[in-house]
Amino acid sequence: MSTATSRASRRDLALVWHQIRYEQLSFWRNPQSAFFTFVFPVVIITLFGAMFGGVGRSSYFYGLSALQYYVPTIAAVSVLGACYSQLAIVLSTRRQNGMLKRVRATPLPAWAYFLGLLAHCLVVSVVDIALIVGVGRLFGVPLPTQWAAAGAALVLGAASFCALGVAVASVIRNAEAAPAVVQLVLFPLVFISGTYLPIHSGVLDRIAGWLPVRPFNQALLGSFAQHTGVDWKDLGVLLAWGAAGALVAVWRFRWDPRAG
Amino acid sequence: MPDAITVSELARSYGAVRAVRGISFTVGRGEIFALLGPNGAGKTTTLEILEGFRGRDAGQVEVLGFDPADRATGRVLRERIGLVLQDIAVEPYLTVRETLARNAGYYPAPRDVGEVIALAGLAGQERTKVRNLSGGLKRRLDLGLGLIGDPDLLFLDEPTTGFDPSARRDAWQIVRGLRGCGTTILLTTHYMDEAQALADRVAVMSGGRIVARGTPADLGGRDSAQARIRFALPRGYAAADLPTGATAVAGDGLVTVRTSAPTETLHQLTGWALDRGLTLDRLTVDRPSLEDVYLGLTGTAAAEDPVERSDR
Ligand SMILES: Nc1ncnc2c1ncn2[C@@H]1O[C@H](COP(=O)(O)OP(=O)(O)OP(=O)(O)O)[C@@H](O)[C@H]1O
Ligand SMILES: [Mg+2]
Repeated sequence: MSTATSRASRRDLALVWHQIRYEQLSFWRNPQSAFFTFVFPVVIITLFGAMFGGVGRSSYFYGLSALQYYVPTIAAVSVLGACYSQLAIVLSTRRQNGMLKRVRATPLPAWAYFLGLLAHCLVVSVVDIALIVGVGRLFGVPLPTQWAAAGAALVLGAASFCALGVAVASVIRNAEAAPAVVQLVLFPLVFISGTYLPIHSGVLDRIAGWLPVRPFNQALLGSFAQHTGVDWKDLGVLLAWGAAGALVAVWRFRWDPRAG
Repeated sequence: MPDAITVSELARSYGAVRAVRGISFTVGRGEIFALLGPNGAGKTTTLEILEGFRGRDAGQVEVLGFDPADRATGRVLRERIGLVLQDIAVEPYLTVRETLARNAGYYPAPRDVGEVIALAGLAGQERTKVRNLSGGLKRRLDLGLGLIGDPDLLFLDEPTTGFDPSARRDAWQIVRGLRGCGTTILLTTHYMDEAQALADRVAVMSGGRIVARGTPADLGGRDSAQARIRFALPRGYAAADLPTGATAVAGDGLVTVRTSAPTETLHQLTGWALDRGLTLDRLTVDRPSLEDVYLGLTGTAAAEDPVERSDR
């Protein structure tokens, strides 16, 4: 019995690996998705580098230089793009054109399909962050100091934002509406979370602190630049949002383009 | 050996649309069974209930001994069935070979990728990106994806729609080849000739019901046993004047006489005309084609409840 179980789990492991490889292959082959996922954050950080490269430490940036502040927040927004936005749009498109139904027609278990997507989003996020940190380095920003804390924040953040992306794809029926809905949710959130401009309002910070974006910004700021290590409250809030997203996804996700 | 598929009193509605209204049939192991019917007859609904995509409102269904609605056994069942759905959808940026290799990895004992490429008639296209395939070639890839897991049971929803005539013959050849391997096949089609060319047994669906069933020969035979004699009624005579009794005059001015003894009937009719110095203009004798039988079956069934007829 136990050998049968271990053989089955080895097969499942191979299956997940197989799925990750083909998910990667489809992504890198698609010139558009590869371009937009990487170009946007790199352009922004390069622009900010050119604009604020000379702005030194100030209380406006919480005692950091402007770019020391922006490298982690732009890294965070690139993870949002790679996980939340990408998944919501890709999944609703795949559902609409019937590709999800095709996946369902095979014995590939749903969890293996989603693990493949999660791993894929994580890979894209890591590449994004490496690019952004690299550009920051060119403008003289020191490399992140606390790698373990940064890694923990990244994995948890990526997983949570993937779950939220799947949740949004579960709620919207129509693939054409997906990009608009995704942006409509994301833009105000990113804005009040201090991604592009530090927010110096106690009320706004407290509100944003309970929403998913600001805790992720803070976790990356803390581990990249402020040497404050792991903030358990931030990670807790992220985890709670991820769990809520996963619940909605499990409850509402549909594979079939037609209701029924 | 138990049947591969048993369906009894299956029903499914979408709101007010009663798509499937209590149908029953069985498909034996190794058999090719065709569901034949016009648009909106309920073929896809039936198939997708058997495939586990849609729920049912009533009735019993068993596929290879499993209930397709049971999530716990879904994976085991899907390892043993192959699906070709009605709409084509394949990852555009992978090549033909990559697409097949990806899906092969999902099954415990898949067919060889090269073998499926040959079987589906895709030789020479291995390295073509899926987005660059023509519609017919995409459909072949779809068929290949249905075969890749080496299924015991294959569902084909309108497998040849959109094929040119020679591609259609090729697809028929593939299906016949699979029968040789012992694969059970349930297919749907709009074409009587396709059902006739492939199926061991056929059920004709219309308006959510099975309106006729049997072997293709039976189905064709039922009405073609009657010959049809048609001619223009001579001027001044009514259909009732004929010695044989005749159906009413059609819009084109021809009367139709149906008979299972055409030699005698024809003799009576021509004798009657010669006695009176008349000619039977535009005289023909024929038998209804399979197509006529099919149109007759599905036409009357649909006319019984025009309200619920689909316009798809
Ligand atoms: N998801 C759905 N929601 C609402 N109505 C549906 C749905 N699917 C099918 N129907 C309706 O149910 C009826 C049967 O449809 P079905 O697709 O099963 O027919 P079909 O025999 O496969 O037709 P076709 O030859 O056009 O593929 C039609 O009236 C159709 O409009
Ligand atoms: Mg159909």
